[in-house]
Amino acid sequence: MTSYISLPMYSASIDERMRLIAGRCHSCEKLAYPQRPVCTECGSDKFEKVPLSGDATLYTYSLVAGNGAPSEFDDEQTMTGDVLCGVVELKEGPRVMVRLADMDPEELEIGMKLRAVIRRLYDQEGIVRYGTKFVPLR
Amino acid sequence: MVDVAVIGVGQTRYGMFPERTLKNLFHEAAANALKDVDRGLDPANVEEAFIGTLSTGGAQLGNFAPLMMEAAGMVGASARHIENACASSGFAMRDAVAAIASGRAKVAVAGGIEKMSDLPREKNRLWLGISGDVEWERLAGTNFAGIYAMMARRHMHEFGTTKKQITMAAVKNRNNALANPKAQFRAPLDLDRAMKAPNLASPLSFSDACGITDGASMVIMCRADMARDFTDQPVLVVGSGGASDFVAIHDRTSMTTLEGTKRAAKQAYEMAGISAKDIDFAEVHDCFAIAELLAYEDLGFCREGGAGKYVASGATARDGKRPVNNSGGLIAKGHPIGSTGTGQIYEVVNQLRGRADTAERQLKNVRYGLTQNVGGSGAAVAVHILKAVE
Repeated sequence: MTSYISLPMYSASIDERMRLIAGRCHSCEKLAYPQRPVCTECGSDKFEKVPLSGDATLYTYSLVAGNGAPSEFDDEQTMTGDVLCGVVELKEGPRVMVRLADMDPEELEIGMKLRAVIRRLYDQEGIVRYGTKFVPLR
Repeated sequence: MVDVAVIGVGQTRYGMFPERTLKNLFHEAAANALKDVDRGLDPANVEEAFIGTLSTGGAQLGNFAPLMMEAAGMVGASARHIENACASSGFAMRDAVAAIASGRAKVAVAGGIEKMSDLPREKNRLWLGISGDVEWERLAGTNFAGIYAMMARRHMHEFGTTKKQITMAAVKNRNNALANPKAQFRAPLDLDRAMKAPNLASPLSFSDACGITDGASMVIMCRADMARDFTDQPVLVVGSGGASDFVAIHDRTSMTTLEGTKRAAKQAYEMAGISAKDIDFAEVHDCFAIAELLAYEDLGFCREGGAGKYVASGATARDGKRPVNNSGGLIAKGHPIGSTGTGQIYEVVNQLRGRADTAERQLKNVRYGLTQNVGGSGAAVAVHILKAVE
């Protein structure tokens, strides 16, 4: 038993997850990522889609101990143990919670530079769910 | 608005009771609350009921409140289920107060229950991860410990708060629970040992977290002008506040404050006509130790960023100036999700009436008590202020 983000529901956010498409408010230009139905700044519901660069800095993070992460990640946790996640601040402004990859927990530091890569998140019903993870800019 | 008084409170012991049923647990809380009404109350007089629960692992989702009221022996009341994750019964309390204050009901109850023990681990992790912004927070691989850990990391970064100061709140609460016969974790914990506990979600360790708990609670209220018919010791609900916020922490301007707590507290203080300095003691939502530190600041008990020093000063200890979580809090008394809000009211009412279950933990000269109940990582917050009647 796992949480259920159905494939159609997941697909509805593919633009955001794979291509980092944000919404730019038509009235006040504030960026929404993840996209949202209403602008938090001015209340407008008209957005234009714009791609983000994928450049980011680390805002905060945590190493979630083995078997603490949600059950979708069971296979991965069995193999790797702990799960590293954090909130990144994208160069364009918005913050988002993400998986961090390709780094030791010891090298993490608030403010370090990161970049977006497409990685496997988990699989469910025999289908691999891909999404964005952030790795150090080396 | 009609003034509202609490006339009876009940709570089960908190712990792991795999051999007990939902109905059986809720019955005990309700029976205790009825017994607590000094001059008795005919259950048929309960007009409105608000029952908080998250979902008890999905064991019972539809018509939950009528089922619980049946177990309580209160069939017939207008009953509904209130869900705001871990703040479910804090909001049940708020709605029960409103039902009386509006004049619609003379007698109303707020209750809460959760049974977390008899679920397989993966189902618990399914279920405990559903109260965030699931599509984004959960699919980043984090649980609630991880989310609070990220808030703790920011607090340490922005204000120089130390892991040790955070853990001091947990150690205080664990030791407070030693004198509470209804608490789940009643084993002493010292700071050195707590600092050596294994990682849960860095920087938080297992010592900084609440556990898996079963329990239920109920609060019976009536119009304040009727209260003396039921008891010589009514407790007035003088303040009630409720607020919501962005569900995902990444959408909030600050991760070191819960705007929901600030908004709910402002409403409650204004309604009561008092300020933070008038609060003699409080039960706050310490699902993780950092949450108690955030509560100190957001409720106005100390300045922004000053919570680490505040807890280290001993101000919130049982013998401090303003005891916080004298019951043991969520960390040690236990956190049966849906029961926590009304369980906090149970504690505050007993303290204000001088009816703490052991003399050792009865607070002296207390007039105003506050409860703060948080859903998820701050998406919903309910704050109540109760006052002893001289």
